Amino acid sequence: MMLRALGIALLVCSGLAQAQTSPEAMALLRRIYQATEKLSYTGTFVYQQGERTETSRITRVTGRGGDVERVETLDGMPREIVRTRDSVRCYLPESQTVKVERRTEQRAFPAMLPERITDLARHYSISRGEPMRIAGYDCEAVVLTPKDELRYGYKLWADANTGMLLKARTFNSKGETVEQFSFAQLTIGNVPRDRVKTRHATQSWRIEDAAVTPADLAQAGWTVNGALPGFRKIIEVTRRLGEARPVGQMVYSDGLAAVSVFIEPMAGRAEAVRPGLSSLGAFHIYTREVANHIVTVVGEAPAASVQRIANTVEFRRPQ
Amino acid sequence: MKSKISALVDGELERHEAVAPLDALRTDGEIRDAWRSYHLIGDAMRDSCVLSDGFAGRVAARLAGEPTVMAPLRLDPAPERPRWQLLSAAASVAAVAMVSSVWFMLQDSAGPAPQVAQAPQRALPAKAAEIAQAHELAPPAAQVPPPDSANDYLYAHQGYSPRNSLQGVAPYVRTVSGQTRPGK
Repeated sequence: MMLRALGIALLVCSGLAQAQTSPEAMALLRRIYQATEKLSYTGTFVYQQGERTETSRITRVTGRGGDVERVETLDGMPREIVRTRDSVRCYLPESQTVKVERRTEQRAFPAMLPERITDLARHYSISRGEPMRIAGYDCEAVVLTPKDELRYGYKLWADANTGMLLKARTFNSKGETVEQFSFAQLTIGNVPRDRVKTRHATQSWRIEDAAVTPADLAQAGWTVNGALPGFRKIIEVTRRLGEARPVGQMVYSDGLAAVSVFIEPMAGRAEAVRPGLSSLGAFHIYTREVANHIVTVVGEAPAASVQRIANTVEFRRPQ
Repeated sequence: MKSKISALVDGELERHEAVAPLDALRTDGEIRDAWRSYHLIGDAMRDSCVLSDGFAGRVAARLAGEPTVMAPLRLDPAPERPRWQLLSAAASVAAVAMVSSVWFMLQDSAGPAPQVAQAPQRALPAKAAEIAQAHELAPPAAQVPPPDSANDYLYAHQGYSPRNSLQGVAPYVRTVSGQTRPGK
């Protein structure tokens, strides 16, 4: 009877993952990553988060002249992002500002390697979902169900022919959607190259260069002791945020979910600091003070995970 | 089914009778909630002291101090930890504590097994321990509006998000609406 009770308790504790990972689902996921890297396309997608719905136009051109991507929001605050092989530029016409982030020698814009997809199966059950027709394309679905409550789940729908991702939904442990991207219209292939050029003349605009530089924050005395199971540090840099605030940034990821830890000195900060947690759909931002610094943890992960990483940030004066 | 679960909690079911309720526990969230509730009820009735001193008081104080139940600024319908999660966290802590105590009892009845008995937590499978950790009650987080420069943080984070290799540049549209001049 005792043994049975023990067995039951363990069953309940491990009862989170229902779906089993299947090779077909892994293959579909791999196709999606390859399609994202190889295809040229142009289309309109809708981003939903809570009550908010926003439409954007996205274009990607591959081939000679390098891969270039451009996304422009059509609703709300106007902004445009153009990403090339070695830089990301964010155009903000209202404030006449361009934010520039250049690729460093490190894997600044990490590509998803095939072995990392296999790694994903350690933390998510990867299974097939129901097919669906989206924006005129017959889509196959793959579901990534987390094996614990430290990360969100994902459901992805991709064109059966090309593997192009048509819809992506993020869901929480209760199965509720926390955010969703879905194409309303999409054309694959044959995109003219001028479609990925910015439409802004920016000669007189202010340029904010992120000045990203590889860094060793541990040597400066900063440690994050309790990274979540399956999360590993993928990058560690110093950079500028906004106009002139130098900050340290460490990014932890399990291959799909990612959490950034920002560390900046409190001195000279104009903005008031409000310690606590804010929630923005799939994102959580947790702010706390550590040793006269502001630690801001930003993550595409459940609030408890973001808070847990934040609470393990420590400073010890270097010897 | 809930009566079966209740019987299961009380250890009153035979092996073959337990199959269906166990399956239900694996697949049905409502049944799992019932499982947690029955354990809470059981603990309350037995007056078990499985939680640290003053635990209930601290939970109550935090709930009372929660300012956000009617926060109008909330963008997402369910962004914060709802109260039931606090309860379920408590239930999970209780469940793990129960596993530990059951383990102790097993060791006692099975004769001396000093190495394992000294480290009962390690005897738990890694996954159960992880879940228990995830449910640890972190210090309460005040719900605050996003920082004024939230978009700067989101943008800086986005460059390293693995989502980029899944859906290209699309995730960059995720910013705080209403912050018309990020970086200011």
